[in-house]
Amino acid sequence: MADRKVCIVAGGMDKWGVREASVVDLAQEAAQDCFDDVPALKKEEIDGLLFASSYCGRTSFQVNPAPVIAERIGLKPTSICSRLDTLCAGGSSGIILATGLIRSGMADVVMVVGGEKLYTPQRWETYYSEMASIDHDWDGAQGMGLPPPFFSMTAQEHMKRYGTTKEQLSAVSVKNRRNGSTNPNAQFQKEVSLEEVMAARPIAPPLGLFDCTPITDGCAAVILTHEDKAKELSDKPLVYVRGTAQTSLHSMSMNWPGEHLADWVHLRTAAKRAFEQARVKPADIDVAQTHDCFTISEIIEMEDLGFCKKGEGGPFVESGQNDFGGKIPTNTDGGLLSCGHPFGATGIRQAREMLFQLQGRAIRQVEGAKMGLAHNLSGLNVEHTILIYGREP
Amino acid sequence: MPVPGVPILEGLYPSTLDLYPLEAKEFNRIYQFYDNLRENRFTTTKCKKCGTTPFPPRVVCPKCNSDDLEWVDLPTKGKVLRFTEEVAGVPHGFDAPLIHALIELEDGRKLICRIANCKEGELKEGAAVQLFAYEVPPMIVEKRGVMEEKPRMFFAFEPVK
Repeated sequence: MADRKVCIVAGGMDKWGVREASVVDLAQEAAQDCFDDVPALKKEEIDGLLFASSYCGRTSFQVNPAPVIAERIGLKPTSICSRLDTLCAGGSSGIILATGLIRSGMADVVMVVGGEKLYTPQRWETYYSEMASIDHDWDGAQGMGLPPPFFSMTAQEHMKRYGTTKEQLSAVSVKNRRNGSTNPNAQFQKEVSLEEVMAARPIAPPLGLFDCTPITDGCAAVILTHEDKAKELSDKPLVYVRGTAQTSLHSMSMNWPGEHLADWVHLRTAAKRAFEQARVKPADIDVAQTHDCFTISEIIEMEDLGFCKKGEGGPFVESGQNDFGGKIPTNTDGGLLSCGHPFGATGIRQAREMLFQLQGRAIRQVEGAKMGLAHNLSGLNVEHTILIYGREP
Repeated sequence: MPVPGVPILEGLYPSTLDLYPLEAKEFNRIYQFYDNLRENRFTTTKCKKCGTTPFPPRVVCPKCNSDDLEWVDLPTKGKVLRFTEEVAGVPHGFDAPLIHALIELEDGRKLICRIANCKEGELKEGAAVQLFAYEVPPMIVEKRGVMEEKPRMFFAFEPVK
């Protein structure tokens, strides 16, 4: 088998939010934006399509959507044409699998599209479907599935154990909403003040409205290929997939792997593997997109990804250490808190932002960024997925 | 009553919209768990070969791969470690506040579950809780055109009063 170096060569997405469009419409918009990002590539040269979507079976009454999407966007895949469902990490799973296929020579050029149409004509159905997104028979029937309660308990644990404050949680929202304010594709482009976040209506205390990612319609797309093909396609700097990991160590309501809810062993396990594969350390990362489904998530991710010490995530974010000018600018395009979170699309949105950052063409550019890390948490914290991208292989 | 937008569903049972497990024995191999709930017993499967006692129950031991399993009782009492009261965005079928807790059973096993029979502001960390088994809407099994109602049980925990 071959052992080729794999590059991400194009990224696209549509306007995210409450969209008057179907998931098939949204996939076409995102694919169009992605094709436009690499004009030298002909559609006939794309031999694989992976479509990441979790809810299409429920909210769009569509299983096996990949051939439908392929036909609509004008692709005729010959190496792979398949749907992936890893809930919030579906897009990243697509990129990991595309990387493996291209690296081994089983595919040459793979497009990874992902996204959801989550808003249904009656809102109850969207919320109700969330109870299919965890362990339906054991957890869904307990009314779990909507994530705020789980992350509320996680936030309380972190606050009681490490002294983390509501101000520190809020600082994450203020930063990410500021970063998203210049992103035309984001669901929310309005900045929020610390006072507004602190005073927002409660969802599951201590989490309020601005501590939580919204429900979002939208799609995103990226194209990956091997190094030689990437060089042919454009003069832009090459961006390589250097390391990947995806861990799953327990089920949602039982067998939690950590000592307590703010102890994310499965994230540290994923980080160790991804950093080793990429042959880098946390200090080598210039820019990160981490899964800020809730403000508390980003704080714990800073710790368990190794960007700060365990328990120090609160002061780390409050003092701007994961903002522009700090140690590790994080969620530079607004993250989930600003962009929204159409589950299967999020990892692809992050990959697109990484591509733009490492090629020096992001809207909010981290000067000289050469190494980036993207992270997803999926389900009620049952999986962690990491991708490390670099300007060098 | 016809279902709006989908009148063809009148009188039919859409199991893919059912919140609760398809507990009838025709649809799973762990129906004994639900039968035991009816006797207020909280149970799981224990591997007769290696002793592994996982929850939820299995049909094959996840450790040694044996299918020689037996039903054993788990404690029905425990204490609250952390809890949360969800006040907004509660899913259809549940009322706000929807209370969930990380509890520790008397054997040290931890699980996250719903806390029933409890008002907002009543629960405290460290509070004693016990199994609350309750009846949920029956599911339908159709045999030769006859719709048969199968009674169902589910569980939460509740404060010990």
